[in-house]
Amino acid sequence: MYPLRLYVFKTIEWLLLLAVALLFVFPFLWMALTAFKTLPEVFRFPPTFLPESWQIQNFAVAWKSGPFLTYLVNSLFVALSILVLQLFTAVPAAYAFARYKFKGRNVLFGLTLIALMIPPQVIFLPIYVFMSEWNLVNTLWSLILPYGASAFGIFLLRQAFMQVPDEVIEAARLDNASEWKIMWKVMVPMAKPVLVTFGLFSFIYHWNDYFWPLIMTNNEQVRTLPIGVAMMKSSEGDTLWHVIMAGNMILVVPILIIFFFAQRHIINAFVYQSK
Amino acid sequence: MKRWASVFLMLLLSVSLLVAGCSQSASKTGGAAEGEKSAGAGDGKPVEIDFWYALGGKNGKKIEEMVQKFNETHKDIVVKPAYQGDYYQNHAKVLSAITAGNQPDVTMVEAGVVGTFANAKALEDLGPYAKEMETKYIPGLMGNSYWKDKLYAVPFNRSTPLLYVNKDKLKEAGLDPAGPKTWDELIEYSRKLTKKEGDKTKTYGFSTPIDIWFYEALVFQNGGSILSEDGKQLAINNEAGKAPIKLWTSMVKEGIMKNPPGEKYNAWDVAKQDFLNGQVAMIFTSTGDLQALESNAKFDVGTAFLPAGKTYGAPTGGANLVVLAKSSDAKKKAAWEFIQWMTDTPQTIDWSLASGYMPATTEAVESKQMQDVYKERPNLKVAVDQLEYAKARPMVPGYKELQEVIMAELQRAMLGQATPDEAIAAVEKKAEKILKK
Repeated sequence: MYPLRLYVFKTIEWLLLLAVALLFVFPFLWMALTAFKTLPEVFRFPPTFLPESWQIQNFAVAWKSGPFLTYLVNSLFVALSILVLQLFTAVPAAYAFARYKFKGRNVLFGLTLIALMIPPQVIFLPIYVFMSEWNLVNTLWSLILPYGASAFGIFLLRQAFMQVPDEVIEAARLDNASEWKIMWKVMVPMAKPVLVTFGLFSFIYHWNDYFWPLIMTNNEQVRTLPIGVAMMKSSEGDTLWHVIMAGNMILVVPILIIFFFAQRHIINAFVYQSK
Repeated sequence: MKRWASVFLMLLLSVSLLVAGCSQSASKTGGAAEGEKSAGAGDGKPVEIDFWYALGGKNGKKIEEMVQKFNETHKDIVVKPAYQGDYYQNHAKVLSAITAGNQPDVTMVEAGVVGTFANAKALEDLGPYAKEMETKYIPGLMGNSYWKDKLYAVPFNRSTPLLYVNKDKLKEAGLDPAGPKTWDELIEYSRKLTKKEGDKTKTYGFSTPIDIWFYEALVFQNGGSILSEDGKQLAINNEAGKAPIKLWTSMVKEGIMKNPPGEKYNAWDVAKQDFLNGQVAMIFTSTGDLQALESNAKFDVGTAFLPAGKTYGAPTGGANLVVLAKSSDAKKKAAWEFIQWMTDTPQTIDWSLASGYMPATTEAVESKQMQDVYKERPNLKVAVDQLEYAKARPMVPGYKELQEVIMAELQRAMLGQATPDEAIAAVEKKAEKILKK
């Protein structure tokens, strides 16, 4: 039996958590509900909470407002390709930074950290000119290649690799394992929660990215979902909020599903890091 | 070892997929680029031109439809339209594309920024192409088409600010549903339209986003201007420049005007939302909003000129079509033909009716088709009539930055953090540096 005081504290804790959760969930909930309303109902004041009648056709209208299947395929292809590339560049780099002592290591790592702090808006022009010289503007390459290496991923994985005990690596070396094998067979499995977390961050960032695809592409064949959704909004006049919210749902739901399956690992990653 | 092999195979597969996927799209666009190079050499192949536009939603769809019609009726030209985000994203993209040398041939440029683009030598002088035929456009819309006496742009989707009134509420309060005509009447109407329940205001008489567009309008109405004639001096440190701030702050203080919260266009959305909900009886907003407000309001919507100070006055807004200077001669010729067709009377009528923007040519306004529409929907005509009092927005390159400064200071005054004198003084201090650039 727990003392009464503990129950009181637990209750207060839960209520506080619930309040914060509500704060974060509410905009999403509002988006979801708006996606099912009619336009006049969206504008009504005082607003209704639940839609009066559930307008499922909003999703069909949103889907048909552009080549959404192409957008969806492009988004998936770009986000996954970037993820694969980033993992195959970040793992060796992180391993080297974490486990080797070589001249200039700290300088190089410092450079990597600096790269972490530069927003894409600052460097888009030179990269655009690059891509243009290589005739890659308006191809999916221009969306994937500039993101082939992730400073954030290198940083995160380096921290994780540094926490692997030396004994484990030495044991592997005694067994004549190659460095390549140690990296992929020993280090990577031990850093799994961090890998999953990084994978999610990367995927979500590039799945949601609007600025870069907008700058690099000119036609529907190579564009991604966020641009399709943004195209639904008029600058002036008739903005069909209910359809836009339906489009946003199409954009967000895949991420929610992935998140649902991966969240256990994310929590692990943070517990692991703070140990 | 087996598992290792399967991982390797997976990797190989994903890389080959990557290459396949990318080269497929690359070949598509690569082919288009080759087509462009050989185009327009008089070898019977149609000239291909790129057109970047900056309107989404229904209006974007309409633009695509018009381009398709142009392509069907002009066998020697193929226009390839592409949506590039809003005005500002499009501007950024066009500028970076010019640097890289793969710019479009025609694009939309927001009216106030035409000067900046022309000054950067990005735009083609359209004078030699137009040969005086630009007189067909409504003069009130041409203010932002010239830079240093050269024609660089033609009006396309053009708007102007209007006063929107909730006619039902005005009638209820025993006021003229045509709306207030002067600043004094605006105050008087707002007083009568404001309804309070205890301490809470149920309905405000008036609301406007504190935006540079409306500030410009009110300065014009007092016979003032934002900048000196040569664009090198700030011209608002006088009564004409301070009066708008005094009007708005005193109305807010009295509780008869609502200052809509929100950054930039969010404040516009709030004002429109409040108007539709009946929480505000009169607002300033763009002609471009007419269609949406009329179809979503449950009351009778009326439009009127912005109330006059010493005189009526309003800026214009929206975007113009321009031809880029870096394109080849053949493409420029095709581009001129295209923008000229897009803004010619039959097309501009079609566009105006579909979008709510103003028609671009005088002939269109006078046409029987438009006159019939105006008879049926007098709200549409108000904007065109107000053009008689329209003035061009300042076009000097520094104005883009300066207008942000002005808006920030206006907002400070609205929130009671600065007196009108202090706000204007603060603008003047910063303006000197900006305009010198």
